Amino acid sequence: MAKSLRMSPQTLLVLERFVEQPRVWRYGYDLSRETGLKSGTLYPILMRLAKFHLLETRWVTMTDGVPPRHTYRLTPSGAELARSQQSATRSVAGVRRIALFGGKA
Amino acid sequence: MSSGSFARRLATFLLEWAISFAPGDTIEWGNAVLGELHQVDGDWSALLWAIGGASMLLKHALVAIVFPGRNHPLSTSRNLFRQGGIVRKTAIYGTTACIVAFLLFLFAPVFRVAVHVSLAQWPPLFHVSPFDRLGPDPRLEALKRKAIQKRDGEALAFAAVHTRDQSESVQLAEEAVRLNPGLTWVYGVVAVDWSFFPQVERWTSALQTFDPENALPHLIAAERIDIEQIENRKTPRNASEESSEWKKAMAAAFQSPKLDTYSKQLEDLNRTVLLRYQINDPFLISTDHLWYRVPSYTAADSSRYAELLLEDGKSREDQGDRRSAFEHYSTVVRFTQTLGENGGFPMARCLRDAFQRLGSLSVKEGNSQQAELYSFLANTADSAGKEESFAVRTQLDSREVSHWNALLARASGVALLLSGTVLLLCVVSLVVRRRSLRLAALQPSGMTLAFSFAGAVTALFSSILLYISYRPYAEITQRFIHTGDNTGLADLSRFLAFTRIPLGAGGFFGKYLSVERFAFYFWCSVAGLCVLVLMLCISRFLIRPNARAANKVG
Repeated sequence: MAKSLRMSPQTLLVLERFVEQPRVWRYGYDLSRETGLKSGTLYPILMRLAKFHLLETRWVTMTDGVPPRHTYRLTPSGAELARSQQSATRSVAGVRRIALFGGKA
Repeated sequence: MSSGSFARRLATFLLEWAISFAPGDTIEWGNAVLGELHQVDGDWSALLWAIGGASMLLKHALVAIVFPGRNHPLSTSRNLFRQGGIVRKTAIYGTTACIVAFLLFLFAPVFRVAVHVSLAQWPPLFHVSPFDRLGPDPRLEALKRKAIQKRDGEALAFAAVHTRDQSESVQLAEEAVRLNPGLTWVYGVVAVDWSFFPQVERWTSALQTFDPENALPHLIAAERIDIEQIENRKTPRNASEESSEWKKAMAAAFQSPKLDTYSKQLEDLNRTVLLRYQINDPFLISTDHLWYRVPSYTAADSSRYAELLLEDGKSREDQGDRRSAFEHYSTVVRFTQTLGENGGFPMARCLRDAFQRLGSLSVKEGNSQQAELYSFLANTADSAGKEESFAVRTQLDSREVSHWNALLARASGVALLLSGTVLLLCVVSLVVRRRSLRLAALQPSGMTLAFSFAGAVTALFSSILLYISYRPYAEITQRFIHTGDNTGLADLSRFLAFTRIPLGAGGFFGKYLSVERFAFYFWCSVAGLCVLVLMLCISRFLIRPNARAANKVG
């Protein structure tokens, strides 16, 4: 199922944020600020990740009449995919570096 | 964070509005964006946040309309987009209502005539003259048959005037005059339209006998001689090369006390026959007011002959024969005034010159008062000519209401055809996909429904526009046919003349794009579109199945 998910640079950016603290629940606005993605770009990515069960969601009730907030964190399969994507990206970057500069991956 | 600022309130409103449209599976995400809105620092940042979220929700809503079955689990409270949901039902009812309203429009005779008028722009694209129709007019054909059966001279004369086939027109006119010699004037109208045919000489003599004071038969004769000269490549380069036959015809025209183009008789004939045979066709009562009803070479012929007379008068004046010179100049003045509205303005310069010569002749004779009068008349002729020339240019520049109404009628006609095609394609695709003609089985997909709805709304809207733009001219037509009141007939003629120009050629969109060039671009576009459709068909039915078969084998 995860094979059908398009790994755009923006999706990788979001996954990277989650991988840093895989067990922590994150808010949409915080992710937007950290990745620099606008709401119109970020939320479709979150929706797709949740649709493929790579992300779990929950509502957090707030006090003082502030509306509840939606929070997100990676599922175990999401964390696995995010890590594999991260290492694949690194290896691709390494291959490129070797090809260009003759260094080690 | 001030929750009460205008931008923040607008942001909240925008998101809530977008959530109300969102499909079931995205409502939760809409609320997520809304929940975060309260955390966004800065009012304008909050508005940008809301715009981003709202655009995402609306995109999903649009996708849900176009592809209703595509993976949109629905919330129980919001069943807007499911099969039989509010939007779908509204679209189906709306499409049906628009089609029914359009069909009701078709019951109105005025609307049917308006549709007929809006189609007049197509013949030029099929290399038919803009003043012709595509093929024979069935109503005119039926009228001809009835007229021959009943031996109705007036109806035959009517058919002769409106038939767009020269030999048939000539034959019908001869038969009409044979049945009713009082209709000999029809020769004048038909000969002005065609000018060059074997019977024209006989016709001009018959016209001269019928109406001896009229300049028209002489002008027709002069036109025939001119055309003959052009066909034999003997076009005169100066006055000395003009043929004596042509000079004789023009001299007779200049000596004639009147010029009658039989417009009044033609109007009466049109009215009588349309009433008698119950025909409601505005094209059959319009007269070409833009081009008068004189032979096409009249202005050129008259100017050439007037210059010849002025030159001859000058040489006689130099020889001392003032009386003869005076007669020459007076003839030019008299004939130009006879022409009047029938194409007189191109002769304004000749008229001015004639008055000036008459003025100088009066000075030579010591009559200063008369010289002043001629000088005044020369100036008046000059300014009147300029004014009339400006009026004609304005007509051709199309700045009138009739032009805008014609533009609206032509645009509505094109929109009607396009929407009709879209609706037909929708029905065909629906029947082909469902393989059934039963109404219950015809469940349209979201895409088909969207196209049908757009087609039906466009059809209804363009029908209303067409009806509104044509209605005043329908009234002019009816008033003329039933009461003989010809007020507005010139407007009707201009309107109909403009409706014969294809939308995009001349006038509004491409002021300087000729009909011929437009026809070329039109057919290039059609050919391009056909190639595109062919490529799509090849890709869909030949290449893809092969690729699929190859994948299966692989």
